[in-house]
Amino acid sequence: MDLIVTKGITKIYNPNKIPVHALQGIDLTIKKGEFTAIVGPSGSGKTTLLNIIGGLDRQTEGTVWIEGTDLTNLSDNKLIDFRKNKIGFVFQSYNLIPVFTAAENVGFIMLLQKRSKNEIDTRVLNLLKSVGIVEQMNKRPNQMSGGQQQRVAVARALASKPKFVLADEPTANLDSKSTTDLLDIMENLNKKEDMTFIFSTHDQRVIDRAHRVITIEDGKVVSDVNSSIN
Amino acid sequence: MRSLVVIGAIIIGIWSIIFLVGMVNGMIESYINNAIKNEVSHIKIHHPDFINDKESKYFISDITAIKNEVDSITGVKAVSYKTITNAMISSSHAGRGIMAIGVVPKYETNVSGVSQKMIAGKYLTDTKKNQILISKRTAKKLKVKLRSKVVLTFQNLDNEITMGAFRVVGMFETGNNIYDESIVFVCQKDLNTLLDINGNGHEVAILIDDLSELDSIQAKISKMYPDLLVRNYKEVQPELALFQSQIKMAGIIYMVIFMLALVFGIINTMMMAVLERVRELGMLMSVGMNKMKIFMMIVVETILLAMVAAPVGLILGYMTTSYFNKNGINLFFYSEEGMKQFGFDNFIYPNVPTDTYWQLVVAVSLTALLGSLYPAWKAIRLRPVEAIRGSFETRDGLMVWLFKFLRNKIRSIWT
Repeated sequence: MDLIVTKGITKIYNPNKIPVHALQGIDLTIKKGEFTAIVGPSGSGKTTLLNIIGGLDRQTEGTVWIEGTDLTNLSDNKLIDFRKNKIGFVFQSYNLIPVFTAAENVGFIMLLQKRSKNEIDTRVLNLLKSVGIVEQMNKRPNQMSGGQQQRVAVARALASKPKFVLADEPTANLDSKSTTDLLDIMENLNKKEDMTFIFSTHDQRVIDRAHRVITIEDGKVVSDVNSSIN
Repeated sequence: MRSLVVIGAIIIGIWSIIFLVGMVNGMIESYINNAIKNEVSHIKIHHPDFINDKESKYFISDITAIKNEVDSITGVKAVSYKTITNAMISSSHAGRGIMAIGVVPKYETNVSGVSQKMIAGKYLTDTKKNQILISKRTAKKLKVKLRSKVVLTFQNLDNEITMGAFRVVGMFETGNNIYDESIVFVCQKDLNTLLDINGNGHEVAILIDDLSELDSIQAKISKMYPDLLVRNYKEVQPELALFQSQIKMAGIIYMVIFMLALVFGIINTMMMAVLERVRELGMLMSVGMNKMKIFMMIVVETILLAMVAAPVGLILGYMTTSYFNKNGINLFFYSEEGMKQFGFDNFIYPNVPTDTYWQLVVAVSLTALLGSLYPAWKAIRLRPVEAIRGSFETRDGLMVWLFKFLRNKIRSIWT
């Protein structure tokens, strides 16, 4: 099943001043359950592509369909709702709320979805267990290591029961051990729950674990290698 | 820390406003009470022509009977009557023009506060003849002391120059330099004898119990004496009402300035809060928190900070003004002469009406709301993609947004 389809995605920054062509006609299809890495040198456009797929930014030309919904036609408010219910985000610098505990950081998205307290408590506990950080659930971000914070971020991304998770350079700030642990967790979730993960990265350790590697250079897809073991 | 700055700013703002309102009210009360106690009383009765031309011939006949009749009116606290004439006071060193007021000491002490403002000697008595009270400033200018003799010169009813020698028995200081320099007090019977108007007088001064009954008592007296002019203190000294309104207006202006400073303080601090949380806000927008919730988050936070700060500010303000209301604020060190020149006491007793506290609660809530709007607006105009990386780049500014909004509205109506 095609989860994400992009057709002729073009993104031009500063179109009226000094135009920068970040993406130049990207055509992609990503199926459910894929564990995909988008790679490329700095400035190649991988984060821009991820932002457009995630509905955080709008393309200059082209179309993005998520499960058949054309994001181009969604209003800002509908796009916010779409992100809330369909997409999970993991950011390079974790972006946890400093005054919340790990459990509260994971649970607040479900509050936005107006889930019941019991459901939130149960799911938060399960998610923290699945990322192996249940002992830290009452700690605040500043009491946790970078690796632990990123695990909380992964649990938060999964809390809203999204269709897929977008992770922008998720291992950029992590040491080797934390990177391996995080990749194990995400790969495990991919296998067990058929969760789709899409990374932008230039970390070789992530590339080595990805089932599909899409390489972008100068805003164009230059290779798309599928080594899926699923 | 940032929250403490906002809370601190609001506390100081509220405290300042309460203190300022207290001071303004205290000054107004001080000025008006001084004027009423020492100069104008609450109500005065004159011959209608006496107001424009203070000649001795415009006297009120049988003034003692009027005093007794007015005294019997319910709500009247005290009544006195006086003889008033323009005169020249001379000593062996100097002379100057003054107004001589002839009083009946036993009645006058009930109406006027001058007897309590004696700084040397004693107040007038009925027992001795030709006593005079002069102010400290007049004494200085005439270079006279207690028990010195001075001569009062004036015109009698027949327009003949007449004079009398008086002995200085006391010196007073009311706190209003202009007033002090312009009057002297003598016993009415002495002055009446010199003016040849025995049994009559020029003025009846009335103090009442409750200021809210001023108009009704004034109307009653006017009805009793239709041929005489009955005026309240605001009519006698219109500058009192003017001063009262001007000081109140100045107080309101200061309050608005304080509130504006508070608004900008809140805007500044909440903008810092938004700036500090750009990443958080970017993340919240990314994961699906809508603009209204983000907007309300900033607004509610500011209002909550104001709700924490307001009671502290109010209590501090109440405690400060209550303390000074009992003990007074001594303005002597600031400018003794300056304050007296304008009719104020050295001590100001701040007084804040209860209504002011409620008005402040509403005003601070509105201020907090107003101060939170712009930071909240900036927060929802953040671009999530930029904000996640900590960039404060926003979408269009307020004016550009308004322009586009109106343009789109007009277009939609047009098509």
